[in-house]
Amino acid sequence: MEDAKRQGFKAALRETKNLPTLPGIVVKLTRMADDPDSTTEQMGRVLSKDHILAAKLLMLVNSAFYGFPQRISSLSSAMILLGFNVVKSLIISASIFEMMEKQDVELWEHSLGCAVVCNVVAKRIGVEEPEEVSTAGLIHDIGKVAIKMELPQEYAKITRLMQERKITMRQAELEVLGLDHAEAGAWLTKIWNLPPRLIEPIGCHHDPLQAKAEQLSSAIIHFSDILIRGMGYGHAGDDKVPKLDKQAWELLGLSQEDIDQVIDEVEEKLWEVKGFSLEIQAEAEAPDSAAKS
Amino acid sequence: MARILVAGSVIFDCPETRVVLEAKGYQVIPCRDVHAAIAYFLEDPPDILILEKGFAGNGDKDLIRMVSACLQKTNIPILLVVQQEDMKDGIDWQEFPVDDLLCCPVMPETVLTRVQLAEARMNRVFDNNPLSKLPGNTSILNAIQKALDSEVSMAVCYVDIDNFKPYNDHYGFARGDDVILMVARVLVNVVDEIAREHSFVGHVGGDDYVFIVSEDKAVAVCEKVLENFVVVRNMFIEPEDVKKGGFVEKDRQGRETSFGLLSISIAVIPTGHGKFDHFGQVSAAASQMKHKVKALDGNNYLVDQRDFYSPP
Repeated sequence: MEDAKRQGFKAALRETKNLPTLPGIVVKLTRMADDPDSTTEQMGRVLSKDHILAAKLLMLVNSAFYGFPQRISSLSSAMILLGFNVVKSLIISASIFEMMEKQDVELWEHSLGCAVVCNVVAKRIGVEEPEEVSTAGLIHDIGKVAIKMELPQEYAKITRLMQERKITMRQAELEVLGLDHAEAGAWLTKIWNLPPRLIEPIGCHHDPLQAKAEQLSSAIIHFSDILIRGMGYGHAGDDKVPKLDKQAWELLGLSQEDIDQVIDEVEEKLWEVKGFSLEIQAEAEAPDSAAKS
Repeated sequence: MARILVAGSVIFDCPETRVVLEAKGYQVIPCRDVHAAIAYFLEDPPDILILEKGFAGNGDKDLIRMVSACLQKTNIPILLVVQQEDMKDGIDWQEFPVDDLLCCPVMPETVLTRVQLAEARMNRVFDNNPLSKLPGNTSILNAIQKALDSEVSMAVCYVDIDNFKPYNDHYGFARGDDVILMVARVLVNVVDEIAREHSFVGHVGGDDYVFIVSEDKAVAVCEKVLENFVVVRNMFIEPEDVKKGGFVEKDRQGRETSFGLLSISIAVIPTGHGKFDHFGQVSAAASQMKHKVKALDGNNYLVDQRDFYSPP
């Protein structure tokens, strides 16, 4: 019975295609797309700050039509292979939240913040493809957006349960759906043909030792998720910072000195992220912003 | 069977149209708003587009622009549905670069016949490479001749992937095909972004390509192609080979040899100063230049500096 319910929710999530993102970022990108002087790289830098559009870009480049299923994990490679015009069309077809709520902005900030930490940590450890780890960090909570949009009734139940019983969002998800946002995210990105190198860390970011091939990336995202919550940037839906998995922590092999430096570096990089977030929010409120439905 | 995206609703004024098309095995996808239509084009491009003039305001032009802007989709035939009055007023075909037209009221048989004609015509003019969908040899020769006749000085650029054969042997032909497709995309997208006007990209076959841009853009295009190739390349090579900086495979004589990572060589032949009068001379000059550029290590381009034609 429990399993049938779970399968039902997974089937509903399977149809997820056009997840909405913040209007501000779409407005900014639309303006860039109309400007003949903007380059693919410039648009790429903005696009790679948005978890929804980044996932969509990877979905496109890994789709059968564009010909590289399960191969491309890097956003800059995706931009190069899809080209300016496809990226432009992606922006035109992007959908946005009809009502922008505080928690949508905060989850967006949490995702971007997590990507920043992932990048710093991955470089510190000397991972070969740090960009890949930060991309996985950027889209690690995409399951949350999918649950909210595709299963609105269950999402309302989850929110209620969290408040009533003071439990984490993940516990509430497991109780209501029989699956959590990590599994939902991994399931979606698998359907979208994203590379396994990204799928596994998304699915295992709460339990990195479950990962088989990508344990280190999973551990980095697990740790970054916790660190960025601890640093108080953005908001991931609940106030409870998840427990750091001891073995995952040991896997990273970071010393106290490393941590101090990581935090310093992240704090510095967050200034830019904070500025960008303010810019995006101002963009959405600007009177001349091209509101799209 | 072919899939037809129908943007607009007038052709469904006669409800039988859809039935007739579907009876012949066509899959009909009706689309009433421009966002949905564009999303379709992105995620799952159709084989034919039937587009109503005036669809969603300027949506008709947006859609046409989107189809023709993407070199992988330029082969999709577009049938424009117009009203009698449009024909009286005349239609600016520069604004509507479409392949055929249907005039209201349209009979179901007319739609079916035109769709079949569009398919047949597409198959006839198709010398495109089946893998990259880029134009093949006949189109390349025409494009080179056009470049020679052009008043602006153009540059004919021959691209070739170094170490492709051993890569193919080592990783298997499916991975080899991925690389061929990847290079095609890199070329098309760079040419498209930097030098869209009067440009051309073709696929000779295997790991050989030709692109033609105006001479003043050639260096910028070559540099960007090499730069982008380096970014993307490692996605197609196993991490351990990337670390080693190459891989070991048998050479043409069957001896174990170590090969470097994939790289790209471009031989650039400017056509200015009227030094060539036939495309055969361009390819002769190109093979001399290719020889020189291939002899260099790694990613390179070389511009033919000679201002005269020297037969081999």
